[in-house]
Amino acid sequence: MKSLNKIKSAINKNVNGEVYLKEWHKSIILEGKVKSWDDFIKAGQIAANKGYKGVVNNMEVEGFKSPPIKAPSIKDGTLDGKKVDVLVIGGGVTGCSILRELSKWDISCLLVDKEEDVAMHASSRNDGMVHPGIEPKPGSNKARFNVEGNRLYTQIAKELDVPLNRTGSLVLFDKKILKAAFPIVDARRKKNGLDKIKLVSQSEIKKYEPYADDNVGGALFFPSTAITCPYKMTVAYGENAVMNGAEISLNTIVLSIHKEEDKIVYVETNRGKIFPKVVIDAAGCFADVIADMAGDKFFSIHPRKGEILILDKKKGRLLHSVLAKPSLTIVKGNTKGGGIVKTVDGNILVGPDAYEQPLREDFSTHMENINAIANKHFPILPGINKGDIITYFAGVRAATYEEDFIVEKSEYVENLVYAAGIQSPGFASAPAISREIERITIDVLSKMMKVKKKENFNPYRKGIPDLSLMNENDRSELIKKRPDYGVIVCRCEEISKGEIIDAINSPIPTRTIDGIKRRVRPGMGRCQGGFCMPQVLNIISKEKGIDPTKVTKKGEGSNILVSETKQSK
Amino acid sequence: MDNYDVVVLGGGPAGLAAALASNECGGKTLIIEREKLLGGILKQCIHDGFGLIRFKEKLSGPEYSGRYIDMVLEKDIDVETSTFVTEIKKQGEEFLITIVNSKYGVKKIKAKAIVLANGCRERTWRQVFIQGTRPAGIYTAGTAQYFVNMMGYLPFKKCVVLGSGDIGLIMARRLTLEGCTVEGVYEAKSTPSGLSRNIAQCLDDFSIPLHLSHTVTRVFGDDRLNAVEISKVDEKMIPIPGTEKIVECDGLVLSVGLIPENEIAESLNIKIDRKTKGPFVDQNLMTGLEGVFSCGNALHVNDLVDYVSESGEIAGENAAKYAKEHKDRKLIRMNADSKFLYAVPQYIDINSLNQKVIAYFRSRDIRDKMTVKLLYDGQVIFSRKYNKLKPPEMERITFDISKLNLKDNGEINIVMEG
Repeated sequence: MKSLNKIKSAINKNVNGEVYLKEWHKSIILEGKVKSWDDFIKAGQIAANKGYKGVVNNMEVEGFKSPPIKAPSIKDGTLDGKKVDVLVIGGGVTGCSILRELSKWDISCLLVDKEEDVAMHASSRNDGMVHPGIEPKPGSNKARFNVEGNRLYTQIAKELDVPLNRTGSLVLFDKKILKAAFPIVDARRKKNGLDKIKLVSQSEIKKYEPYADDNVGGALFFPSTAITCPYKMTVAYGENAVMNGAEISLNTIVLSIHKEEDKIVYVETNRGKIFPKVVIDAAGCFADVIADMAGDKFFSIHPRKGEILILDKKKGRLLHSVLAKPSLTIVKGNTKGGGIVKTVDGNILVGPDAYEQPLREDFSTHMENINAIANKHFPILPGINKGDIITYFAGVRAATYEEDFIVEKSEYVENLVYAAGIQSPGFASAPAISREIERITIDVLSKMMKVKKKENFNPYRKGIPDLSLMNENDRSELIKKRPDYGVIVCRCEEISKGEIIDAINSPIPTRTIDGIKRRVRPGMGRCQGGFCMPQVLNIISKEKGIDPTKVTKKGEGSNILVSETKQSK
Repeated sequence: MDNYDVVVLGGGPAGLAAALASNECGGKTLIIEREKLLGGILKQCIHDGFGLIRFKEKLSGPEYSGRYIDMVLEKDIDVETSTFVTEIKKQGEEFLITIVNSKYGVKKIKAKAIVLANGCRERTWRQVFIQGTRPAGIYTAGTAQYFVNMMGYLPFKKCVVLGSGDIGLIMARRLTLEGCTVEGVYEAKSTPSGLSRNIAQCLDDFSIPLHLSHTVTRVFGDDRLNAVEISKVDEKMIPIPGTEKIVECDGLVLSVGLIPENEIAESLNIKIDRKTKGPFVDQNLMTGLEGVFSCGNALHVNDLVDYVSESGEIAGENAAKYAKEHKDRKLIRMNADSKFLYAVPQYIDINSLNQKVIAYFRSRDIRDKMTVKLLYDGQVIFSRKYNKLKPPEMERITFDISKLNLKDNGEINIVMEG
């Protein structure tokens, strides 16, 4: 453990501003004021991994005031006085997978999320890659849960009926780097417990990816890399939990947490007070805010943003797995390099990049980043160009200064469990993290009540049928039973009215354009919903019995229409 | 399995005209339309100005398409609406078309010839690289038009229009009439993209400002759009830093170009002209794949529906003739020089009985007092003088090749001279 004074002088030497340190609950707290966000981050990074439990960065940044958390305006008492055994805060893949694992037990579980749908933040804003687990530092939580999560996904995808392609990934290296890289990477592979990787010679590259740029020294092939759809997976986890009796309350934000002694008694939300026996913090970018509410903030989340480009399916034929060409820093394993991914739906995704910025909910994109991503990655797949980009999006990773997952019971609050700091490779790790959280939670719960497994837990969840992938006879049969399956609404993605109605009425019902898009894809294609969006709006309006002006893109305030026209009546 | 001489994909103005012409030539004809009703995009074009050439009348879109729909329904032409084509395969001399609808589920249809009349789609805001958030309130002009004209709903209170394409101009007027404030129309080019008559009737008459050499570079608002950033652009249409201004609005209408829909053509490996974004065709509008014809906005984006119908007729007639009998083509190239944006057709089949060629072209720039000439083997085979040529206005010419003695190693060059 380094002395606080030494850390303090290291920080003050490297950042502009005045920084003070103190120790609290075995963690370092940073206070004071710095000039810029870069200084803010640098200070936190210097303080990290010096033998303390965590780094809490409470500094101010000159001229910056953190905007308030976006909150639903609804206030009602629908949850007031509700008693549950477990309350999960956060409906990303982490929270939803935890909810599902807990739904195996004969206990009452409730998940709350402040957004209109599950998977609204990082879980719908990543490339869906199930990393092999080579990047995390050996011995870290990341390494453990990533490697284990990767293995578990085959079974999970089968149970939850979500497509998963175990394509492997091909990492290209320049000649000079390859020689240096292989022994380092292979040593780390052994330490992290990965399956064997393959050294691919230059002449063999085309066998793996016929359209890749093979003007390189060679490549490493990681056979365990897989690709799935992150938001479909999150929805599927949540749906299976709901099928097994768990509850999900959306548009529900945690406002405060009330403890007696060292125990949470109730959690106050905009829908009333919830009385849980155990609380699980899976709040993504706001996990430290929840910890703070519980008087247990021993870490800070700093939002690390990334942007991803989506290319037209037309170019999908140029790739069948994951392709990347890292710089030397990636070999050392500390930066996110990004790459090119073929999604399970046939698009190509390019990116992400990674940059520090202060906003936790800013999903805006920037031309300079879009151009940089294109310039960095397009050369490794020469058949793609900027004209193939159909859209782009941004996501924010919930990074801690320790750069590792926090998967543990709180040391100071008896009934609080953390699944926090879950950034990349968080999606790949979710099946393993959720099992560990299940174990911890049941352990905590067992001290308060008798806990037993459900007799009738059903691990299988059936997804909405994708008719475009069916054989003709099955498709015809299904259309005969439900003629709506024969009405194609989205021409780019070949999505029928029946599939859209299924999404509206699914176990986690949705009534937004984006919610339907994430579940069954209308609007995901090259016309970006130009033709189908009004049709989808009409279907929602009819199915839900709501006025078209009330239909939103993604929840409160994002109404598609403003009023009727003058002559419409 | 149903067998047809000609299957027309798309029941808009091009497809309707193609089906009528095919039927006229004795072809057993089927129209496949993915929407519930025939008429294509004309259904929502309730403004007038359609049919000036064809009917010598000013019709609204639904009136224009209505006339064609009536004619089609009178004839022995089969129509499948709410029907989606999932696959087309060439089988020997014929085509096997797989369709999906509620009536049949999945069904196969055989055709001797196919007419692609799929129309076009609109370029999106993401394809013109507008950065920022992804709020509600950003729609293409066609989508906005659907909301207003087909559904009776207003998508904005105050909007900005990006792009001076014809639908953008029409929508600026339409939205104004419905009580929406149109703050202005912004165009990245230094000249308008739409027809002059639309600039006058849709913007000038309603005092809507047109800002040339300006574009939208960024949008703001997490849930609903609340502002856009406008930048001046240089001659290469690159935004000039420091010229940004913020315009508060809850809507952005995009009229930034149309893209011919050729996904089916591409699935058949039909070669696409990068200039027109439609297939390469000969004077019979047959594509590079024998038996497949292209017309309307799927072939190249037209500015007048009258020409869409005309190309439909050419494609339909020749598809029916092809279905009856056909001989090998002998194609020679027809090249337009760099002063043209494009010219259609790109090939002449010198073996064809059709010796009367109808060609369409657009000038790349605005030019005064030009002569357009067709040259073959150093000889001028066609010449016409134009007072003014401009990119938004497509020109049509006809010429006869019967007396030219074209040889299969020759080529026709289209040139523009001042």
